[in-house]
Amino acid sequence: MNTPADHHDDDLRYAEYVLGVLDAYARAAVEQEIQDSAQAAAAVAQWQRRLMPFADEVVASTPAPYVWARIQDALQLAAPAPSRPRPRLWDNLRLWRWLGLGASVVAAASVAILLVQPRQLATPAASQAGYLVAAIEQDNGITGWTATMDLPHARMIVVPATPVAFAPGRTPELWLIPAGGKPISLGVIARDKPTSIALRADLLARLDATALLAVSVEPDGGSPTGQPTGPVVAKGTIGGA
Amino acid sequence: MIASSPDEREELNGLLIHAGRGDQQAFTALYQRTSSKLFGVCLRMLRQRGEAEETLQETFITVWRRAASFDPGKASAITWLVTLRRNKAIDRLRQHREEHLDPLQLEASVDEAPTPAADAETSQEHQRLQRCLDALEPQQRRAVREAFFTGATYNQLATRDKVPLGTMKSWIRRSLLQLRTCLER
Repeated sequence: MNTPADHHDDDLRYAEYVLGVLDAYARAAVEQEIQDSAQAAAAVAQWQRRLMPFADEVVASTPAPYVWARIQDALQLAAPAPSRPRPRLWDNLRLWRWLGLGASVVAAASVAILLVQPRQLATPAASQAGYLVAAIEQDNGITGWTATMDLPHARMIVVPATPVAFAPGRTPELWLIPAGGKPISLGVIARDKPTSIALRADLLARLDATALLAVSVEPDGGSPTGQPTGPVVAKGTIGGA
Repeated sequence: MIASSPDEREELNGLLIHAGRGDQQAFTALYQRTSSKLFGVCLRMLRQRGEAEETLQETFITVWRRAASFDPGKASAITWLVTLRRNKAIDRLRQHREEHLDPLQLEASVDEAPTPAADAETSQEHQRLQRCLDALEPQQRRAVREAFFTGATYNQLATRDKVPLGTMKSWIRRSLLQLRTCLER
């Protein structure tokens, strides 16, 4: 067969690299070229843009919670409490819940110790964080949704963590409940895919650790009264990790 | 599906940029948002939970270290992450299993068609890629898909499909050239 040649052009070799068919040797050669040549790097990046949409086909699968614990451990992200032994991440129920995987996790006994140089953490987090997160938990402790609030862009993304059953004609609605205040509707949210919500300035000011996010069961289209009319099926406080 | 809307894509870009400035909360949120998807990709390629977990772990450790070099002008956060993750997984395949991969293990590892869930809500980019793939010969389309999802070398692919190495190379190279032309349109 007339092959597009073994003396094929560089662009084709970059495509093969991105597709993943090259052996370790040839891969290393391309990686060196990416380092050395902006042209090679751009060509590889273009193939990545072309082929990465393939990854859309893959079915998501939740990794075990200890994977995140190991990452935090390896990077020393969890600030150790001064003059006290550092609480083992494995035992941190809040973390497990927060990760949306429920509390009943049996942690594996052995930790893979990674020999990594802890990155110098400048810890400017508080001043430039700009993000808040909340796990919106059901009564059984399982996270129903996670909410990420992007303050600089005045936006919130609410992602379903576990499927929650709703009767036909019923839909989840998200509420912000300020401490001692009445619930404020943030709108209906999707059960099965992320919902993006624009945050008005008056709402932004109320997003803090004293406020709650709650999900109630409402008729399709949302509560007719502006206040929750059905049972609250999940709630959570706003905070950081 | 992660990042199928421009809003979400923008959101992930923002999280990655903030992580690059040392924002641990943004990094945590990024993990929350993307780890299931990336883990799914790891699992599909490595087919062993332990190895997939280690690869995911290595990937996010590298994400934290290299996030500062992320340039949203060059690639979206999700492309950046998937690329990083794929490279880690392929390196792992090459290290441990370069010549030991049992061809039978690869058998039936790739579905020809996308999953129904993916059908309904894949990104525009995916739909475009799909249209271009549809224009390929079925055998060649299958080979390209197999290559992407298993990270197998030409040799392994040829063994699996029981065709000469030259034929496999020819299929894939023709397909890549055809995809390039089709996707540029």
